[in-house]
Amino acid sequence: MNYRVLIGGEAGYGIMTSGLLLSKIATHTGLHIFDYVQYPSLIRGGHNAYEVMISDSEVGTLMGPIDLLVCFDKRTYETHKDLLAEDAVVLHDPKEFAIENSKIHAVSVPFRDILTAAQGSYMMKNTVLMGSLLAVMGGDVLWMHNVISQEFGKKGQAIVDANIFFVNQGYEYVTKNFATMIRPVFAKRTLDATQSVVMTGNDAFALGSVIGNCRLYAAYPMTPSSTVLATLAGWQEKANMVVRHSEDEIAVINTAIGASFTGVRCAVGTSGGGFALMVEGLSLAGITESALVVFLSQRPGPATGMPTWTEQGDLLFAVHAGHGEFPKIILAPGDIEEMVELTAHAYNLADIYQTPVIVLSDMLLSESHRDISRSTLQKIESSYQVNRGKYILEADASYERYAWSDDGISPRLQPGYSGVYFQANSYTHEANGHTSESAEDRLLEVAKRNAKTTTYLKSHFVLPQVYGDLEQAERILVGWGSTKAAGLAATHILAQSNVPVAYVHFSHVFPLDKQRLASLFQPAYLSKMVSVEQNSHAQFARLLRQETGYDIQQALLRYDGRPMTAHDIVQFVAQSISK
Amino acid sequence: MTTIHNHKKWSDRTPTWCPGCGDWAIHTGLQRALAAQDLQPSDLIAVFGVGCSGNMNDFLHAYAIHSLHGRSIPTAIGAKLANHDMPVIVIAGDGDTYGEGGNHLLHACRGNHDITLIIHDNSVYGLTTGQVAPTALHNAKGKSTPQGMIEQPISPLNLLITQGATFVAQSFAGNLDHVSLMIQQAMQHTGFSVVNILQPCVSFNRVNTYQYYLEKSYPLPEGYDPSDKKSAIAHAMAMDEEKYALGVVYNVEREAYHTAVAAHENPLVTYTKPTIIEPLLGEFT
Repeated sequence: MNYRVLIGGEAGYGIMTSGLLLSKIATHTGLHIFDYVQYPSLIRGGHNAYEVMISDSEVGTLMGPIDLLVCFDKRTYETHKDLLAEDAVVLHDPKEFAIENSKIHAVSVPFRDILTAAQGSYMMKNTVLMGSLLAVMGGDVLWMHNVISQEFGKKGQAIVDANIFFVNQGYEYVTKNFATMIRPVFAKRTLDATQSVVMTGNDAFALGSVIGNCRLYAAYPMTPSSTVLATLAGWQEKANMVVRHSEDEIAVINTAIGASFTGVRCAVGTSGGGFALMVEGLSLAGITESALVVFLSQRPGPATGMPTWTEQGDLLFAVHAGHGEFPKIILAPGDIEEMVELTAHAYNLADIYQTPVIVLSDMLLSESHRDISRSTLQKIESSYQVNRGKYILEADASYERYAWSDDGISPRLQPGYSGVYFQANSYTHEANGHTSESAEDRLLEVAKRNAKTTTYLKSHFVLPQVYGDLEQAERILVGWGSTKAAGLAATHILAQSNVPVAYVHFSHVFPLDKQRLASLFQPAYLSKMVSVEQNSHAQFARLLRQETGYDIQQALLRYDGRPMTAHDIVQFVAQSISK
Repeated sequence: MTTIHNHKKWSDRTPTWCPGCGDWAIHTGLQRALAAQDLQPSDLIAVFGVGCSGNMNDFLHAYAIHSLHGRSIPTAIGAKLANHDMPVIVIAGDGDTYGEGGNHLLHACRGNHDITLIIHDNSVYGLTTGQVAPTALHNAKGKSTPQGMIEQPISPLNLLITQGATFVAQSFAGNLDHVSLMIQQAMQHTGFSVVNILQPCVSFNRVNTYQYYLEKSYPLPEGYDPSDKKSAIAHAMAMDEEKYALGVVYNVEREAYHTAVAAHENPLVTYTKPTIIEPLLGEFT
């Protein structure tokens, strides 16, 4: 069962709240959800559309036509009516606009009249609407009572009662007048909030940071990374973290490098524009061999671009960011579970390799919610081991911070240890950290940095996950990061039409190991491969070619700011096969 | 103050500054101040900017970061937030702090971060061989301004005081004892403390010489009250007329940033085990 709901209206009237509430309720009934919000970069006005995909199996992308369209205004109906399923229900206020088309299953609830009759403010429209929505989906109105008590309990019983009254009004109006329109999505289900939680990719990064023992997070707000800053700032006391909103992204990364020097695990977070400002500091982290996690949530650029939309346009920028040559690891989680796991892992990698590790996200992954079971989270947490690599707490007077080692990694002493001192130097340096301009020191230092990449490829590079049978597949889709869900959904849809397709998902996107990837990119497979990316340059295909020589010839690229869908992929594959 | 100190303890390499450079006195004054506080090199975090002043990195023993040009302040803030048990000093130049890192300076004042900033103010970019610094006088000629600097000089003490620094002193590299005393007092202060040290550049600045500063500087009057913001600003603004007050111009108490943040009781470095996530999941339910 897949059920797609769209709640639309002007920004500022509770669309986001209603949508998230629906996601949570559906999750607590034991169903799976994915949601996605389209919104312009402003606070009031404009058109917001909150879409919730509800399914009895795991779901991570929007699929199929809309089953329930909830209209806060006429524009919502006009904008989305062409995407309606045959038996779709449209929930609207007949006083705001009429639905002439008799084929449409309209559930007309006079929201404004209900509010006016009981002297409710117009801002409470979403409360009435949630009652009606729950009725249409066959839910129990008591579920909303619980939510309201939790949400508004602190504001006093009068507020709670008022909200419950209006939820009941909306619910009863539908059950009395539109019984035939009720769809059994929630029928026979009960609410249990103890099993699963609902979170975004940004929440998952925040949680992964706690699991990874991050103690300092510095950021300057930038969509779509900003909610990490808000979430972690809210946890400061509970989690014993310092969360610093610095004056700019230059200060952000240098603050983190200063903290990293003292031995704490730390991270910075931003989007492309802020990351551009951090690039100078990233290079400093490279030469000083500072452990640092960088969360980079992409949005369409260049420059200010489209702040609230999605793109995977900064992969090559991330790969090449920073003047000079230094090692760097880039991870691109495909969903929130991977985000929690790889984020925690990123802190280990940063410590082990004493170099920046970038966790790449994008608006789609950063801001969309999915359900995840508490047991999955606890499993990630309990299996996680803090690995600080060659971090040491004591040393003798002969200690050298940048001592040569064949793997490129030197023991890193926690500053403050008595009788010893060292410097982390932004200049080319001797093994002991002192500035040097000698050719010998230079060559050793370069060799040491380069050795880290060799060590990483040998010890920590993870091959992509392969879904499906490469031999049988008519096409092999190659994706990275957030295109995973659409890619997997497309392979399932195509399998139902007897078109075998495989999906290859890269989460360890840089550096890449040519030898270990050889069997995957053998000529017979390579000729069937399609790079599926959310950018116009096929950046991953370019990166793969640059690093390994494997050349994927076909690409399906989407770069209009809207997320790649399973439908996009299915259509592309169908066309490419018929050629 | 003429404390005799073990020179090798703090430095075992001969500095590379020009003979007669003010950096020598600041270097020596700093070591005396550290010795007077009974500090050991392993007690201290020192963050260096990039420039002739920043080159002190190789001539001072400490847990040190030779950071980027202009970025020493945020780097030091990060170190302090992560381990507030260690004193953190910044050694940087006028280009570092008033030019490239101007924004960071402004916000360090607002935050009252407990770090001590020692600014080498010689009105010139020495390491890049003689361009004007933000503190150079109007009409100053340098390699980037052969016709004379169009801008006004920055008013450094005034900037610091008005933006929230809680300890602002000025010293002169021609007076070693004074340099040492000011650094020592700045380090004893809890909060953002700054010592602006007027310092001749013997190679690239023919205007702001030792003689110039000897003639134009003055000690703060007897009984001067450094907590009086108005008179502090008056002395700070005297610089606009080439009159340079020497001493602690401004000194007030205000809560330092690290003591106001949530997780301040133990230094962050002491939290070695991850926090359990279960209590954090409530908002996702």
